[in-house]
Amino acid sequence: MNAADEVMDICLLAGEIMLTYGAETYRVEETLERMARAAGFTNVHCFTTTTGIFLSFEERKGKEDLMQMVRVDDRMQDLNKVTEVNQVSREFTSGELTVEEAHERLESIYHSPVNYPIWLIHLAAGVAGGGFSYLFGGGLGDLLPAFIAAVAASVALVEFERYLKVRFAAELAAAFLGGSAAIFLVFIGLGFNLDQIIIGSLMPLVPGVPLTNAVRDLLSGDLLAGMSRGVEALMTSLSIASGIALSISLFI
Amino acid sequence: MNLLIESVLTFAAIIGFGIIFSVPRRALLLGGGIGVVTWLVLQTGTAIGASSVIATVMASLTAATIAHLLAKKIRIPVTTLSIPGILPLVPGSRAYFTMLSFVEGEYIQGLEYGVETMLQAGAIAAGLVLALSIFSFGKGIGNRYETGH
Repeated sequence: MNAADEVMDICLLAGEIMLTYGAETYRVEETLERMARAAGFTNVHCFTTTTGIFLSFEERKGKEDLMQMVRVDDRMQDLNKVTEVNQVSREFTSGELTVEEAHERLESIYHSPVNYPIWLIHLAAGVAGGGFSYLFGGGLGDLLPAFIAAVAASVALVEFERYLKVRFAAELAAAFLGGSAAIFLVFIGLGFNLDQIIIGSLMPLVPGVPLTNAVRDLLSGDLLAGMSRGVEALMTSLSIASGIALSISLFI
Repeated sequence: MNLLIESVLTFAAIIGFGIIFSVPRRALLLGGGIGVVTWLVLQTGTAIGASSVIATVMASLTAATIAHLLAKKIRIPVTTLSIPGILPLVPGSRAYFTMLSFVEGEYIQGLEYGVETMLQAGAIAAGLVLALSIFSFGKGIGNRYETGH
């Protein structure tokens, strides 16, 4: 395999990881262009949307241009991986890493599991739910039911996604179960402010990463990517809203 | 006292969110700290009589500014800090009441809440945009005129 091919591979791998796990579009483009330039190629161009990356560069004048694309199907949130790829690209650009070393590091990032164990994520969702139910005007007595309901929603989200593999259905089901748990807990006398408990239990499902990235993308001129990210956030919000609407109209 | 409980709960909730988004360990506590500052700015803004949209813009601008400064210092992507920072501002409550009004058939009330939700979200975006513009001075972003020629 020749050098240009190798560099193309690590660039696209880096881009794929970043885009999948929630980096902004401009960051992906900038990182890839920097890495390709640092490897000594000219005429570097990168075009990224929310669902794919195109990268082209020229090995030397007169030789044919290289051009490749990757398609990114999944979009998840794992900001730790974005940070690590950022670090690798920084070291590669400054010449501290060779192409092979960079490839190894990227592969290990690609295959590494989530930064935190799954039980900790569920627990964190519970803490976040409880905290926000208080901030939105609930009482101290609502902390525990909001915690339980948020954990239920988080577990439901992860488990439904594992078996159904349909994101929007999983979000709808998670919102439905979280809301139902909240209604049930208030019904048996645990907790008082139903509205605040439900809001708290839904907060962990809020699409924070796509929303923030949409604003950033639109502002930096990546209009296509910004719009599509915004629509993604909107669809998540809509599936959460329909899930909770379903549980409210069924049980109240 | 009330403010103290709120600050502690904000801190805990933001760290919880940081774990959900898998923010790297060295940024977790910083994100929680930014979240608390955001919440305090929001409360101060409301206390001195600013409308909720203005208070949100101020809080969001503060959060994004601190996030940019810190991200530069510890060399991590800005989003890992700015997302936890703006979370206390998310209009979850209004969005919920929008949905509730529509479910109960009170469409006018629902539209009112909906507009408030959109304004609140817009205010968060405005704060982020302002901070980003400040930190892009000289580097250039989204230009309209070719003043360089």
